Amino acid sequence: MSKGILIEGVRKRYGAGDTAVDALKNVNMHVDPGEVVGLIGPSGSGKTTLLKCLGAVIEPSAGRMVLGDQVIYDEGWKIHDLRALRRDRIGFVFQAPYLIPFLDVTDNVALLPMLAGVPNSEARKRANELLKALDIEHRAGAMPSQLSGGEQQRVAIARGLVNRPPVILADEPTAPLDSERALTVIRILNDMAQRFETAVIVVTHDEKIIPTFKRIYHIRDGRTHEEAGEGRPFE
Amino acid sequence: MKTIRIQGRSLALLAVVLPLLALFVYVVLRSGPLAPVTVTVSTVEARSISPGLFGVGTVEARFSYRIGPTIAGRVKRLDVHVGDRVHAGQLLGEMDPVDLDDRVRAQEAALKHAQAALHEAEARQAYAQSQAKRYEQLLITHTTSEEIAATKKQDLKIANAALVAARQNLARVRADGAAVVAQRNNLRLVSPVDGLVVARDAEPGSTVVAGQSVVEVIDPQSLWIHVRFDQNSATGLTADLPAKITLRSRNGQSLKGGVLRVEPLADPVTEEILAKIVFDDLPDPLPPIGELAEVTVTLPELPAMPVVSNAVVRTEGGQLGVWQVEDGELHFVSVKLGQGNLDGQVQIREGLAIGDHVVVYSEKALSKRSRLHIVEQLPEAAK
Amino acid sequence: MISLAGRDILNAWGKFVFTGIGLGLLIGVTLTMAGVYRGMVDDGKALLDNSGADLWVVQLGTLGPYAESSSINDDVYRSILSVPGVAQTANVTYLTMQVRQGRRDVRSMVVGIVAGGLGKPGWPPYLVAGRQITRSHYEAVADIATGFKLGDRIQVRRNHYTVVGLTRRMVSSSGDPMVFIPLKDAQEAQFLKDNDAVLKQRQRTAENPSFNRPGVPGLLDAVIASQSKNPYVNAVLVRIQPGYSANEVAQKIHRWQRLTAYTRSQMEEILIGKLIATSSKQIGMFLVILAIVSAAIVAFIIYTLTMDKIREIAVLKLIGTRNRTIAAMIMQQAIALGVIGFVVGKITATFAAPLFPKYVLLMPLDTVAGFFAILIICVLASLIAIRMALKVDPAEAIGG
Repeated sequence: MSKGILIEGVRKRYGAGDTAVDALKNVNMHVDPGEVVGLIGPSGSGKTTLLKCLGAVIEPSAGRMVLGDQVIYDEGWKIHDLRALRRDRIGFVFQAPYLIPFLDVTDNVALLPMLAGVPNSEARKRANELLKALDIEHRAGAMPSQLSGGEQQRVAIARGLVNRPPVILADEPTAPLDSERALTVIRILNDMAQRFETAVIVVTHDEKIIPTFKRIYHIRDGRTHEEAGEGRPFE
Repeated sequence: MKTIRIQGRSLALLAVVLPLLALFVYVVLRSGPLAPVTVTVSTVEARSISPGLFGVGTVEARFSYRIGPTIAGRVKRLDVHVGDRVHAGQLLGEMDPVDLDDRVRAQEAALKHAQAALHEAEARQAYAQSQAKRYEQLLITHTTSEEIAATKKQDLKIANAALVAARQNLARVRADGAAVVAQRNNLRLVSPVDGLVVARDAEPGSTVVAGQSVVEVIDPQSLWIHVRFDQNSATGLTADLPAKITLRSRNGQSLKGGVLRVEPLADPVTEEILAKIVFDDLPDPLPPIGELAEVTVTLPELPAMPVVSNAVVRTEGGQLGVWQVEDGELHFVSVKLGQGNLDGQVQIREGLAIGDHVVVYSEKALSKRSRLHIVEQLPEAAK
Repeated sequence: MISLAGRDILNAWGKFVFTGIGLGLLIGVTLTMAGVYRGMVDDGKALLDNSGADLWVVQLGTLGPYAESSSINDDVYRSILSVPGVAQTANVTYLTMQVRQGRRDVRSMVVGIVAGGLGKPGWPPYLVAGRQITRSHYEAVADIATGFKLGDRIQVRRNHYTVVGLTRRMVSSSGDPMVFIPLKDAQEAQFLKDNDAVLKQRQRTAENPSFNRPGVPGLLDAVIASQSKNPYVNAVLVRIQPGYSANEVAQKIHRWQRLTAYTRSQMEEILIGKLIATSSKQIGMFLVILAIVSAAIVAFIIYTLTMDKIREIAVLKLIGTRNRTIAAMIMQQAIALGVIGFVVGKITATFAAPLFPKYVLLMPLDTVAGFFAILIICVLASLIAIRMALKVDPAEAIGG
């Protein structure tokens, strides 16, 4: 089994009979470990639905999904505990940081390993490592409300990475940010992806960062097709 | 950095929570069944007390005279007013004689008439006597008949009897006359003693019946107080005990007096013993008859004995006793009480020894299991 | 694992404690109202306890002496003493009236107690200051609720009394404080009206020709004197010898003396069942309403607290938090709120209770019951909120 993400022939149908509508018709994607690919499409194209399927939040109607070295879906869920799957194997980075407002930065990140049963001190150690990697450890004791938008987003990324998941799904992670910050975030994603060998899908339509992708998937009407990206390097 | 910030927040929270918790614990311990009962405690001392007896009475006159007529009549005039001092024999007033004067005159006339009748009877008797003697002489000389001599003797006898009758009639008329005069004299209201007029019960012109009082006179030196003592608390009341008298209208002024006698007849209905208390010195001005007086009789001091305040005495399960505190333990001790004085000190004849600690005041009823919180004075009483 | 509930509370502790205090005041009001109810019932019991009697002997066929007026002769106690099983008897009179002191007058129940009867039923069983009555007239022992102090001169009808002792918790069944005076004075007070009325009565008697015969000089005075006496009392209090049953002795008294005698439990029934029944029902209903309102408000508060966090809950679910953990967080917060509310409520109730004009009795049983009731309400309220929380779709966290 190869690592990374592999999606074959995924379809998602809502409704039945004459009123049935296919949000996803035939989705095929693959992402290698350490790779950051973009997923671009107009609204209504099904990209959110695809993310939800990948995130094991909704069930596809057909197809095959492999995350890391696990087949999670093959014409039916192959994993029983989807919640554990989300917790341990998938990292989420959202449009909004969605940090827990009553936990400080370290605990926001350390929460995930704690939920997995890791002892508190160990979890916090891991959190601190990531905060350091993201260059935000100086804000370790602050509460989310005290951070700027960009700092919050970095913490969110740290949270996404703390369990060393093989996959990260990022949904418009740079939407609220200005160009400098947006590029920083994408650069960090790239660094982290390479460092931890994580496969990353970034759903976006942010013109500021699209040029940085080496590969891009376009999705329209529930179908994807691959395209080479510009792959502009970061300064 | 992180730990300090958390500490700051936690400190603020603790600053609110800890006092709250402390207050809560205080509240739970201070009220409810866990709470101790606040009490005051005192020590039994040996003391000699003077019991006192307290009664309420009215001022009365020992001797009071109600002067009035012996027959029904009308009051003609009264010569004295209330408050006047009179002496024995003084004329206080007079009843209307009505027809009595005429009756006296009638009796005088009847007397004269009787006297005249007596003279007449005497004259007849003298004549009859001389006639009887003459005819007796004539009989001896046979100048008259025996029949006529006998008739003259008979006449003499009749005349003697008539004389006796006339004499008795005179006596009778004299007596009647004396009676009417006596009655006439009774219309005069006369004071029997030196004293003070305290009431005019009928004004001139009013009709009174026999025996009804027209003027009341008392001897002011003879004021005493008729006092009622409750039978429950009259132990030891005898004559000659000293007493303090407070008249109702002279509050605050305490007069000296003594017990004159304890009445042999008590009042069974009100359950009181009656006594007469006299003043040592009559107060000036004299208290009005009928004024209320409070009398305290002090009995002689009793020998020293264990004594407690009567607030200590309680009842548990029908038994009279006290709550004794010994080594922090509370238990109820039955006692027998002796005498008490008017300040609330009462003797303990049996059940306690000198030096024992007893509960005096408590904020609620006590039981064997009560926990005590001993203070000098109960807070509610001090407010 | 850290405590999510704890962290949330710590983060917004001001709001939490503030809410808890608000809730606590409401709970305090409910506890106090329960105390008012208990206080009313206790007033009735205190009256019976303090009299120290096992039996109350009253006029035949009346519910007296507290619930109905009762009049018996004051020498009846002698014949009651002869009934087997009777240890002590004491005459007693009760009259609720205004007692004057200086400028003010206080509504009190004036109790007439036999002179020299230290330890007899009817006498105050314990004092908080001063001493018991020693003189047979013009001394009084008053309850501190009247506001009188030792040495005060108080006026009952036409006589003045000196306060020589103070008691606590001696009240009538309607909460009026008691003033104890010697029986004879009380009999006079119950009977003799003011001077005007006495004069009018004398006049009326004097105008009556059958009382004012000219041929019988002392008759009018004798009649007036007899009218000025009051040989009645309201009840005779009886203490029973150990070994006899109260019911037995009460029956004997009823049969042989033709009087009604009530035992302690019968008096309680009369007082609490008849005299204060309506008031206590009133308060009882209000208490129930308060409790329901409190429960509703607690539920509402917890629901709102949870709904405020619905987004965080969605995120938590998305990142993989167990339902169990989320439910525990909500329930722990609800219980913490309930505990704060209870603590504040108990403190409030304890400090507010003495401020009420009538007795407020906070029973430990009520406190414990209240605590468990609050906990149950909080748990139930949190269940509703938990249900809402668990229904949240984590997918909502991922954009629209």
